Amino acid sequence: MLNSTLTLLRKFDVLIIAGLFLLLTPIISMDRSIDFMIFCIFVLAYDLLYGYMGRLSFGHMLYLGVGAYAFTLSGAYLSGNPFLALLIAVASGAVVGLILGPIIVRTTGACFALINLAFNQVGLFLAMVAFAPWTGGEDGMSAVFNKVWIFDFSKHTVVFYFSLVCLILVVWLVRRLTGSLFGILLRGIKENETRVQFLGYNTFAVKMVAFIVSTSLSAFAGALFILNYSYVTTSFIDPLRSVEVIFASLIGGAGSVYGALVGGVCYKLISNYLPNYIQRWEMFLGAVMLLLVFKFRAGVWGYVVSALKRYEQPAEESKPHSEVSR
Amino acid sequence: MLLAVDRISVFYGSARVLSEVSLHAAAGEVVFIVGRNGAGKTTMLKTIAGFLHPAAGTVTFDGKKISGWLPERVARLGIRYVFQDKRVFTKLTVRENIELAAFAAGVKLHEAIERVVQIYPKIETFLDSKAGGLSGGQRQLLLIGRAMVGSPRLLLIDEPTEGLAAGTIEEVLRALELMRGEVTLVIVEQNLAVVSRLADRIYCMKEGHIPAELSQPADIQNQACLETYL
Repeated sequence: MLNSTLTLLRKFDVLIIAGLFLLLTPIISMDRSIDFMIFCIFVLAYDLLYGYMGRLSFGHMLYLGVGAYAFTLSGAYLSGNPFLALLIAVASGAVVGLILGPIIVRTTGACFALINLAFNQVGLFLAMVAFAPWTGGEDGMSAVFNKVWIFDFSKHTVVFYFSLVCLILVVWLVRRLTGSLFGILLRGIKENETRVQFLGYNTFAVKMVAFIVSTSLSAFAGALFILNYSYVTTSFIDPLRSVEVIFASLIGGAGSVYGALVGGVCYKLISNYLPNYIQRWEMFLGAVMLLLVFKFRAGVWGYVVSALKRYEQPAEESKPHSEVSR
Repeated sequence: MLLAVDRISVFYGSARVLSEVSLHAAAGEVVFIVGRNGAGKTTMLKTIAGFLHPAAGTVTFDGKKISGWLPERVARLGIRYVFQDKRVFTKLTVRENIELAAFAAGVKLHEAIERVVQIYPKIETFLDSKAGGLSGGQRQLLLIGRAMVGSPRLLLIDEPTEGLAAGTIEEVLRALELMRGEVTLVIVEQNLAVVSRLADRIYCMKEGHIPAELSQPADIQNQACLETYL
């Protein structure tokens, strides 16, 4: 029953996800819905490293910021074409991943987390001080793009449907990647990298690919955020905000595409609505974190799946007994 | 000679664990390494597999000097290492565990599964279960079966029967006997009944040296031998 439900869910997941966001939009507003979807793309990118490969990064805002700035700068200095700017943003994320990857992916544990944080801090300094004449420093800068065919991104409806399509494409891509041998390798590396090497795999190359995919998708999310907000500030590259994606990943359940989506939406709901009722809402987030760490390590999605499994198991176990009694 | 270890010395920091040790194995041979805990048996296997690099001496496989190579490069030559602690990838399914080995060996998944089933027929019923749910014996047989995917040339197995029930040991022995002649086996083992049943030759290790080589497996049961090496 559970397996057939999950198989059905997997078969039509992109339609279900699209349907849920379309249903959510009238309730939470279109602006928020766009924000939620783009954030989910960022969580998916992050989860590829954290959930699947077991590498916790404290500086993933760097890659989001690279995309955000590359997108805006491309619009300001190169071309008003938003699609070209998106391509440049994704390529910038990939290039940064390619340059930093050889240093970062060799590390694990606290070292991996902190080295990302260190590079994120450097990125913040570059955007805020060193490149301030071009980036606008702390003031930030506006992003203006031309209308291309039917794509007038000054209209929120266009941004909404475009973000929805982008989210679905990213979900499909991440699902394909994690469902393939590449995904098995990532999970193998998470569990024991040495053993994967003994099977004959070059784990460095696998980790590099995962890292570059993650940085590119994060940069893509950064560019989409700018498409929605039409301006960039240093808050898009602020390492302090890396905690948002970590929370989202933990809330939903790391190592699952659906968990990342659930986590992304849950985190955004909390951060958007809770401040209306609780002034120091971050305290609540801290309590949620403690609860997750001590009681629900698998996150909301992981808990739902295991609860369904528990519910299903006794039902299956009771079958032979009923047959005997008959 | 398929495998030749020539006077290797290995250190853990400043501690010398192997001291000018040599051993060899011909194609199809079953060679055992016995000795007390801390004698350097596992270090020997790890050095052959490329996990440790010798400070002196060479490891040669099929005429190629492989000492100093990375483990993945060694594995690509057809050298497989079955670890002592029976650690499969617990979060992956049995099928995924086999898939990892299949792709690395350039073998189709169904062929790889057939190969593992040949070694351990019962595994067929667990293919979609998480490998973490298998018992110690089932894990060991999965590891041995997985190591045989893609026709390896040398199998290094560390204590294959350690901590297993008698019935499971018999299954492991059956699997090893099935592989005899097809692949060269270098096995670290403390169970002397297993050693005398399977061995073509035995190396006795003591404190990082190999002071004795027994070409008659029955000699391992000899009292003097037992007292000296085990």
